[in-house]
Amino acid sequence: MTTPSYPCPDDGDTFADNGVAADAHNAGRVRDEFAGWLRGHVDLDDVRFSDVVLAVNEALANAAEFAYLQQRGMGTIDVEAVQDRAAATLTVTISDQGCWRDPDPAKQGRVRGRGIPLMRALADDVTIDTSALGTTVCLRFDNVHAVAEADATVG
Amino acid sequence: MDEQATATNSMTTTANTGCVISEEWFGRTVVLGASGVIDMLTSPQLEASIATSLKKNPTAIIVDLTDVDFLASAGMGVLVAARDQASPDIGFGVVASGPATSRPLKLVGLAEIVGLYSTLDEARTALGE
Repeated sequence: MTTPSYPCPDDGDTFADNGVAADAHNAGRVRDEFAGWLRGHVDLDDVRFSDVVLAVNEALANAAEFAYLQQRGMGTIDVEAVQDRAAATLTVTISDQGCWRDPDPAKQGRVRGRGIPLMRALADDVTIDTSALGTTVCLRFDNVHAVAEADATVG
Repeated sequence: MDEQATATNSMTTTANTGCVISEEWFGRTVVLGASGVIDMLTSPQLEASIATSLKKNPTAIIVDLTDVDFLASAGMGVLVAARDQASPDIGFGVVASGPATSRPLKLVGLAEIVGLYSTLDEARTALGE
């Protein structure tokens, strides 16, 4: 009975899952965990909630499918989401240590290659940093507030 | 037990991933009803189901995403590929409504390409014999 019955107020501001195996199964698992965190800590309507989860999924899927092709698919993904109360933003960073593969329009036709356009349509800002060390996708969503219960503004 | 008890000729495939696809025939129109999640893990299931149905020479194929909670670009790619694979004289339609399905399809400009309908009745009226 000595454990605090409520979490520390800043508990809800960050979601992190590092070292996730870069495959389809784990990409889906992290997406679902992230969605659960989002539902509990961030105040979004259904449309915005779907938009955020889909954008994050596409970044995860790209990393799982393409980042480690040259390492026979062996590699990991780091995911971090931060809800900044002062700025009212949600920033989600998806990083891998693999090789960026430029989209090949000839191979994609109209069937493939919608992940990045989707991210750009769904997030307020998308940056993709690529280097020899890996790729970091940063998705920013504006006007995102924490759920009211998490704010210590009673009284 | 049999969640498609009303269908006369139905077949349900389940994977351990939360995607279920049922097949129902209305005359020569086949309706593939998907539920759950269609992402990079489960989209091959949808692809296989569509390919199987196409082999049975339907006049129209309708992919019903009404009960789909999540549709990723991998699933959208399957829908576009199916439309491209089916011969032009086969009717093709996708039923979807809601923030997780019809919204992203519209955002990437696929509504016209795959033939988007908001209800199954609407799709069957448009594509049925």
